[in-house]
Amino acid sequence: MRIVPVLSVLGFIICAVGIAMLAAVLCSWYFEEPDVQPILVSALISIAVGVFLMMFMKRLDGEELRAREGFAIVTFGWIVAPLFGTLPFLFSGAIPSFTDAFFESVSGFTTTGASILSDVESLTHGLLFWRAMTHWLGGMGIIVLSLAILPLLGVGGMQLFKAEFAGPTKDKLTPRIAETARILWSVYVLMTAVQAGLLIAGGMSFFDSICHSFATIATGGFSTKNASIGHFNSAYFDVVITVFMFIAATNFPLHYAALSGKFRYFKDNEFQFFSISAIVAIALIVPLLLSEHDFLNALRYAAFNVVSIMSSTGFASADFAQWAPLAQIVLLLLMFPGACAGSTGGGMKNVRVILLLKTAANELKRLVHPQAVIPIRYNGRMVEQDILFNIAGFIILYLVTFATATILVAANGLDLVTSISAVVAAMSNIGPGLGAVGPAANYGGLPDLVKWILGVCMVIGRLEIFTVFVLFSRAFWRS
Amino acid sequence: MFIMRIARVLGVLGFLVLIAGLGILSSVPFSAYYNDPDVPHLFVSALVTITVGGLMMLPLRRKKIELGAREGFAIVALCWFVIPFFGSFPFLFSGQIPRMVDAYFESVSGFTTTGGSILSNVEVLSHGLLYWRSLTHWLGGMGIIVLSLAVLPMLGIGGMQLFKAEVAGPTKNKLTPRVAETARLLWGLYVILTVAQIVLLRVGGMPLFDSICHAFATISTGGFSTKNLSIAAYDSAYIDMVVTLFMFIGGTSFSLHFLALQGKVRQYRDQEFVFFTITAMVAIFVVAFAVVGKEYGGDILQALRYSAFNVMTVMSCTGFATADFALWSPLAQGVLFFLMFPGATSGSTGGGMKTVRVLLMLKAGTNLFKRLLHPKAVTPITFNGALVGMETMMAIAGFAMLYFVTFGTGTIVLTAAGSDILTSMSAVAANMANVGPGLAAVGPMANYGHLPDISKWTLDVCMILGRLEIYTVLVLFTKVFWRG
Repeated sequence: MRIVPVLSVLGFIICAVGIAMLAAVLCSWYFEEPDVQPILVSALISIAVGVFLMMFMKRLDGEELRAREGFAIVTFGWIVAPLFGTLPFLFSGAIPSFTDAFFESVSGFTTTGASILSDVESLTHGLLFWRAMTHWLGGMGIIVLSLAILPLLGVGGMQLFKAEFAGPTKDKLTPRIAETARILWSVYVLMTAVQAGLLIAGGMSFFDSICHSFATIATGGFSTKNASIGHFNSAYFDVVITVFMFIAATNFPLHYAALSGKFRYFKDNEFQFFSISAIVAIALIVPLLLSEHDFLNALRYAAFNVVSIMSSTGFASADFAQWAPLAQIVLLLLMFPGACAGSTGGGMKNVRVILLLKTAANELKRLVHPQAVIPIRYNGRMVEQDILFNIAGFIILYLVTFATATILVAANGLDLVTSISAVVAAMSNIGPGLGAVGPAANYGGLPDLVKWILGVCMVIGRLEIFTVFVLFSRAFWRS
Repeated sequence: MFIMRIARVLGVLGFLVLIAGLGILSSVPFSAYYNDPDVPHLFVSALVTITVGGLMMLPLRRKKIELGAREGFAIVALCWFVIPFFGSFPFLFSGQIPRMVDAYFESVSGFTTTGGSILSNVEVLSHGLLYWRSLTHWLGGMGIIVLSLAVLPMLGIGGMQLFKAEVAGPTKNKLTPRVAETARLLWGLYVILTVAQIVLLRVGGMPLFDSICHAFATISTGGFSTKNLSIAAYDSAYIDMVVTLFMFIGGTSFSLHFLALQGKVRQYRDQEFVFFTITAMVAIFVVAFAVVGKEYGGDILQALRYSAFNVMTVMSCTGFATADFALWSPLAQGVLFFLMFPGATSGSTGGGMKTVRVLLMLKAGTNLFKRLLHPKAVTPITFNGALVGMETMMAIAGFAMLYFVTFGTGTIVLTAAGSDILTSMSAVAANMANVGPGLAAVGPMANYGHLPDISKWTLDVCMILGRLEIYTVLVLFTKVFWRG
């Protein structure tokens, strides 16, 4: 592995983070808040460090990045960006502890949305905007990651989507990434703008609308209000946000196709599965809410919170940790599959679950006809066994990581329901869990060690496990 | 032809029902010896069962039975539903478990060697019934040995074709001779181990009756006890150790034990056995560390004793208890909860997903790192030195997926019936893996009696699905099974 090109790309990322901070500076300046200076200093430091690292770029003329460098950049990118992202929190004194600031920042960039703050409303507008911005930047990174980088690197069966955007060069990382980014970021920006417009039209303030749109389209979940979306208590906002959480959690190439006039949603296996799961989950939860709400409101709360979990956003319009056990377990189980591949959402991804279910069904047939060769199809195309093998390996690693992290968290004395839900909520980048980390609570009271474990879980889950773990394999460092 | 096939399936089922009836009959002397009032009830239960079994066998008399794969699936799946039905008669007829739901739960829990009970006070049961509960475990365990070493590998369930050549039979394509041969060899070993444990328990001062019952429940990794406090009632470190050891033996492959008895002790280098042992040791130390302070006041030896027993009871899927681990620290509970999923090794009487499957899945996971970095390289997966085919790997992956889907579905049903999350999750995991006790409201010192009926029926299905490695049951519901 060559260190120089890795450092230069990381420099570029840090520089971008710094430039984004400047927007937060403007925000604080506009609202005449006292932390203009600390945020400005944070931005300048980030830009300076970034530019310094980018100077190495000159040595990279004409050289292409290779797979190993790709893994290193992606993993360190998601560590370095949150690291610089902590500066505004630390310098302004709003989150004085480094552990807490890093947790908040990782939670932002991985679009998790878990917070250590018990009172976000006391933050300045600049910092609130920065929190939302970390989501939005993270979301941009994830789109490129999941549609360009992971398929090319062949992580966890995602080579399935290799042909999705046929690029001019198949073997080289850079042109491919640049092209995918250009197309999909435009979709991303467009959807953010539409949502912000709809929220403003419903009477939400301009500032809150922007922040919530950033957090929705990135399936993040940071809100500017303590009670999250529940604060506004508006059916209109709930519906708009539910719809956009759903959009953000579905495959972006489908949206791109739709914008270019090819409406393919209902032909896509993953979209079908995701939608049906959502409908079934909502149908299971609605009856449980009827004792407190009329049917329409029960539907509204069930839909919002189910989609919030499935999309791995983590907004809350109700404290589902207080709902009936059935509702809680449905939400907990939904955290594992999570969203669709090629979205900003987290979790194992629906496509993987679908393909393993198909494998299981296939096995049943093969038990009766052991000699028969029965191919597995996805969206009409045959799926190679290699890809299925990759997916199976991915899922076992996901579950092993989940179990190990849960045991580590439980070792700090947290009860099992809290430990289990906190870990899966972190790994699937959702945010709130159950028990002591429910939507009405926060992660602030947890021991520091647990915060670090969960921070690592967020990055591992976000980067689809392999990307991180491969750095620890012997084969990676050899030669 | 179809009728003929059904007659064959019924015939074999009838044979198994007959054996269950003889088993019930063997519990009559115990009640008679201790002057318990339920002698006639047990006798009638036995008579009814034997008669029904005999009648089912009638169409088959004097015909040679040759079975194909489909009949194999049908027999295996149906017998684990049907036999517990007859097994519930002694409970019902004697009035000691008056409700069908409860009696069937107890009986299924017995035959699947789960060991979860609906009784809050087992000590009021007659000796005949206590013996019958243990015998259901012992008979179930016999069935499982044959199932896991002969039937499932032949049928190729969830990657178990891996063990096809383990016990070489004369005919590879026909079920019957193979099954018979495996049974003959391994049941001998099973009986020897049971007797050995009875003697060792007796030496430790356990009454003979209790020794027999506990030995039956240990080697089959069942978990029913004759005492309310389970093994804790004897409060003896010696007995704890004997039971821990035999749970370990019951939770590991009988074909390995068989080879060891023939002098091939090196066979214990088997990768699955090694992985199981290392996992157990790590878990024992972690749990001991978790409980040494609060629960055992710094006494390391006591902590290790209780940790070893309870880790092994969960890993071997037995379900005896010497402590209420549902009250231990979250770390200890978390470790025990997750150990329920892999469970015991293949070829043992234990349950769960089986260590070999987890081991191979982990190998697949690490294999993928090499592939990521060297996409063109061919990196095979091996198990005990032999190459594992892609088809076996996919069968295992499919199995794991079905296991988790079943777990999720079962948990949803239990919470829908009103149980809290931890109770539901642990109850389903414990029953699918045939462990017995779970956490929270179904912990080792609690029981399943207070759950709603619908939860009990669901857990019955979970026990049988888990016991039969899911596929065996589900295949009966596929279209291809019934076609042609």
